[in-house]
Amino acid sequence: MTVLISNIRRQAAAAVLGAALSALALGVQAQTTVRIGMITDKVGPAKPYAEPVALGAAFAVKQINAQGGLLGRPIELLTEDDQGRPDVSATAARKLVDQGVAFILSVSLTPATQQAQSVSLETKTPHMTPSNSGDTLTTQIDNPNFWQTGPLGSTQIATLLAYARAKNFKRVALITDNSDLGQLINRFFKAGLEKAGIQVVAEEVVPRGANTAEPQMQKIRAATPEALFMAGVLTPENVLILRAYRQLGLKTPVLGNYNLSVPQYTAVAKGLLDGVVFVDAFDPAKPETARFIEAYRKDAGAEPYNLMGYGYDGVMMVADAIRRAGSTDKEKVRAAMQASTGYVGVMGGTGATYQFREGKRTGFDPNGMVVRVYEGDRQGRVVHVGLK
Amino acid sequence: MRDFLELLVSATASGCIYGLLALAYLLMTRPTGIINFAVGEWGMVGAFTGFVLLSAWEIPYFLGLPLVGAVMLLVGWGTERLTVRPLVERGAPVLAPILSLLGMLVVFRELVSVGFGPDPRPVPGAFGFGRLELGLLAGSYQSFFIIACALAVFAGTWLFFERTLTGRSFEAVAIDRRAAAIMGINLARVTALAFAAGAVVAGLAGLLVSANVSAHYMMGLPLAIQGFTALVIGGVGRVEGALLGGLILAFTEQFIVRYAPIPAGLAMGVPLVLLILFLLVRPTGLLTAREARA
Amino acid sequence: MKSLAGYLVAAIVLSVLAFVLGAYQTDVYRKLLLWITLALGYNFLFGVSGQVAFSHFTFYGIGAYSIVILTTQLQWALPLAVVAAVLICVVAALVVAIPATRLDGFYLALATLAFAQLFVVVLNEGGSLTGGTGGLANYRIPDIAGIRITGPWYTVVIVLLMLGTLGVLWRLDRSYFGRACRAVRDNPEAAAAMGIDPRRTRVIAYVITSALAGLAGIVYAFVDNTVNPVIFGLENAFLLLFMVIIGGSGSHAGAVIGAVLLYLMPFVLSPLIGHHHALVFGLVMVLAVLFQPRGLIGLWEALKSRSQAPLRGHPR
Repeated sequence: MTVLISNIRRQAAAAVLGAALSALALGVQAQTTVRIGMITDKVGPAKPYAEPVALGAAFAVKQINAQGGLLGRPIELLTEDDQGRPDVSATAARKLVDQGVAFILSVSLTPATQQAQSVSLETKTPHMTPSNSGDTLTTQIDNPNFWQTGPLGSTQIATLLAYARAKNFKRVALITDNSDLGQLINRFFKAGLEKAGIQVVAEEVVPRGANTAEPQMQKIRAATPEALFMAGVLTPENVLILRAYRQLGLKTPVLGNYNLSVPQYTAVAKGLLDGVVFVDAFDPAKPETARFIEAYRKDAGAEPYNLMGYGYDGVMMVADAIRRAGSTDKEKVRAAMQASTGYVGVMGGTGATYQFREGKRTGFDPNGMVVRVYEGDRQGRVVHVGLK
Repeated sequence: MRDFLELLVSATASGCIYGLLALAYLLMTRPTGIINFAVGEWGMVGAFTGFVLLSAWEIPYFLGLPLVGAVMLLVGWGTERLTVRPLVERGAPVLAPILSLLGMLVVFRELVSVGFGPDPRPVPGAFGFGRLELGLLAGSYQSFFIIACALAVFAGTWLFFERTLTGRSFEAVAIDRRAAAIMGINLARVTALAFAAGAVVAGLAGLLVSANVSAHYMMGLPLAIQGFTALVIGGVGRVEGALLGGLILAFTEQFIVRYAPIPAGLAMGVPLVLLILFLLVRPTGLLTAREARA
Repeated sequence: MKSLAGYLVAAIVLSVLAFVLGAYQTDVYRKLLLWITLALGYNFLFGVSGQVAFSHFTFYGIGAYSIVILTTQLQWALPLAVVAAVLICVVAALVVAIPATRLDGFYLALATLAFAQLFVVVLNEGGSLTGGTGGLANYRIPDIAGIRITGPWYTVVIVLLMLGTLGVLWRLDRSYFGRACRAVRDNPEAAAAMGIDPRRTRVIAYVITSALAGLAGIVYAFVDNTVNPVIFGLENAFLLLFMVIIGGSGSHAGAVIGAVLLYLMPFVLSPLIGHHHALVFGLVMVLAVLFQPRGLIGLWEALKSRSQAPLRGHPR
């Protein structure tokens, strides 16, 4: 018994020594790598969207390191899990700042990204979300260290309206869910519609956990709109909406936000998608995108889809800014990032570029989204590009 | 008018789902006094079992349905055996199994989340989703199937309690545990049966509803709360109460959304307000238990 | 803790810690202190007074939102706003407690569960008052007489909050009221026969603990300088329950241990078992209830008494 205990004690001592040494080593290592932090959601409600974005980001880091790294050093991607909880996100951001990251990427929920901003504002650490699409992220807090390259709700509705201009809609309906992002996108969809002089004759909400959307869709049917815009981001609730749409024999055109571009729908919404119009930022025919798909497929053995592209572009843009800044100094990186212009990424239609115009911090090209239509259950061809 | 009739079918189908979940609670609470918060997660397990058997392995629906039932039977029995029986045998306070079941709620959800990932999964309907018109009423095949299943389950349960000896022994245990034990009723068997039955009913509800909404790892908590609310409204004393509570909840929810001139977001508060009202005014629910017969 | 000196020493030690920790560690430390505060209050409500309620975290939210709305939208001075926010919590607690304490066991749990969800719905639909689904951000703690309390000094405030809560609950527990709560918890009829009013006791316990939770919420509002409905959802209510049970319900030390363990566990376990710490929590919860319903404190006491047994003359 005593031999066992002394064995255990010895192992414990070794573990502690090992931990101390590796902590020391990490400290030393900080000078030999460029550290980029990423806050993602591995267990919470944002997981279906955060996970693929994180995979794309990790792939980009792998690619850069294979080609010699950044500023002559390899990139070390430090990932933190905020569990989809905004208060944990702020803590995770502080941890990353303490570990000396040059940049923080937020790919979790919109409110989590917002809460993490309190940290990037205070510590002046460059901070970006490559995937969140809530418009208020760059406006609610005046944080010069934060950028957003995800496809904004306002861009999505503007693109859909440009596509639908020929149809001359005058009266439309809006439907969304009660998630924070769904409500936010709904707000900006409504603003975009009203700006175009289109009347919103019905506005409905399907709450999380509902088991039917028929009452909401009946109300919409009764208002006889010329089109239905879907602003919700929860897949199960959107499936309910599409099911009720078919069930009630509705024939009005359906136009959806970029959430409907996610491939899960082909599995869970079989038979419900034909003819549904949606915005996307992923054109597989674009040369950069095709190269990305090819490289990712070879590396991971799986087919990537649009969400991975956001993460990939995010890391690439950050690396580009750091390269131009010539160092990981926070102020130099901030200035370089703000000055980003003409960057062509994987996301966006042909001809789209990322840039931060006139001091704004949203970078996704307003002209860069594409409109596609579901043909049967497959994502069909691109039918419209940009805002023209 | 067409809206009203279609809504009738839709609300009845939703009410049946809530009713089945309320029944699952009731089956376990009546003989043991234990509130099993994990029924929602059991519904989720039923849905994912359906996904594996019916979508992934493509077993024909009416072969797969009893298989899902068998799996849920094992889940219910296993849960009772491992996390409830030791506590009951030790004479632990009634709160203890409720808490261990709360822990199991988290365990079930995490197991599914780890095993299947966060993406929602498709579960087929019994006859697909074509539109069926019965006279003036119209709805999807699945809605009618849900109503039919629920009626069958409720009828079977009612008959079980009223006509069979085992069912009567449940009632006896519910009325007075010690007296029932003295009369020779095997308490352990009743408890095991109660949990197994509760799991089958909850799993069935999950399977039926997931055809509409898909199977996803966060579907448990809303189901559990909807089932609770239905149980409180209908009353925990009678089997019919569960169905009545479910129907009242669904009808109130859906008809208010459709016809009341309040913003959609606030309509979500309706089931909660209803629950609170019932708790304040009539916590025993609408239907009270029948008095013990001589 | 028995004496004022004990509290003073604890206050100094814990506060000094605030000045030596780095930014990330301070953040973890502050939130840990807040969770300990909440767990202590919930332990009294659940463990001592025997009320299964899911509304504790909701009052945390009511306190937080109230102070933010009062100071930013109504521009009230901080001291006045704090008093008003606490009053709002007390009133809300009374509104919930008076009808709810008529209900037994699981009905009370259900009512508080519904109240918690209703709170989230109200926050989401509150328009510009509550910031809707995005919540409120972009504010800072207002100055008092020209002084702004931030940084390590704010951590000291949280330390004082935690110790203050502990002090209040400790005294209550030891007093006649504490015994009354336990009596009502264990046998309401007997308690009534002894002249204790069960409903009044329950209502007072509920209001006091909810007000303390609200006070913690007021302090929390200026930690991250953001409040949104997502933070105050149901998941945290379950976590609080788990903390108290695993630590040992009815015991202050148990609440502290449970809070420390369950709050820090994800941070420690993450590198080891990835993100499935929720699974571990659930399993530990089940095991705790099955094998040691008195939680870790119960385990500790069982070990202590077992190690003392040989001294009583039992041969080894």
